[in-house]
Amino acid sequence: MSVGEWVRLLLGGALLLGGLLVFLIEIYGVFRFRYVLNRMHAAALGDTLGITCSMAGLMLLSGFRFSTLKMAMVIVFLWIASPVSSHLLARLEAGTNEQLGEHCEVYEKLETLEEQLRDGEERKEEAL
Amino acid sequence: MKAESASLFLQAQRGLFIVVLIVLGLLFFAALARAVKGPRVADRLVAVNMIGTMVMVMIAVLSLYLREEYLLDICLIYAMASFLAVIVLAKVYIGIYEEQHLEQERRKGRAGRASRTGLENRTGPDGGRAADSQTKPDGRKENGVS
Repeated sequence: MSVGEWVRLLLGGALLLGGLLVFLIEIYGVFRFRYVLNRMHAAALGDTLGITCSMAGLMLLSGFRFSTLKMAMVIVFLWIASPVSSHLLARLEAGTNEQLGEHCEVYEKLETLEEQLRDGEERKEEAL
Repeated sequence: MKAESASLFLQAQRGLFIVVLIVLGLLFFAALARAVKGPRVADRLVAVNMIGTMVMVMIAVLSLYLREEYLLDICLIYAMASFLAVIVLAKVYIGIYEEQHLEQERRKGRAGRASRTGLENRTGPDGGRAADSQTKPDGRKENGVS
């Protein structure tokens, strides 16, 4: 085996173990946060960075073949799918929780938020 | 000599894959514990989503370990299936909640829908921003003096 093969193994192994570390952090965050909408932040970590790192490592380990393209396809698919499922889960939580106001600020109407933001901006301009 | 180093390389690769698979298996059970424990439905669905991602990596590692390329096709299809499962379950639970809610409202006769706003507890961004605007001219004066 040439030196290049070993370097490839080391680089790929490092990326794979890095992805594993991201998964570890994800699990830690999911157990640490107190509320679902916070937990979702930690859970989205693995969907994007975790699987990208580990798949990049596996792509390096497998070498340049047709299977490399399939691994890239998994990453691209998760890029698209992960935000959609996160959004839907957040909508499920925000729509069904009756005591949402205990965990975060809730604006019943969008206009209230817009008015408050506009007031804040006007005040900023006056101060300048 | 050459054969020896080649076998060493293969052993290192296999050992790496085994270690990664074992750690992923442990993380899988941790995520499963979250799915069992999670107080709300969304908790469980988030955990199921996480488990799906981990299983995808496991399948991909397994395909290199066993040298079976068709496992990667299974990985792609698994990604689509788990995405679909999460979407469908979320939609189903939203539908169930809305149905129950409509029934309750029908019983109450559209009376007294409890307000669930957190707006009363809010002091508003005014306090913080007013303080900011007061400090700004002071900073400018100091700059002018210096």
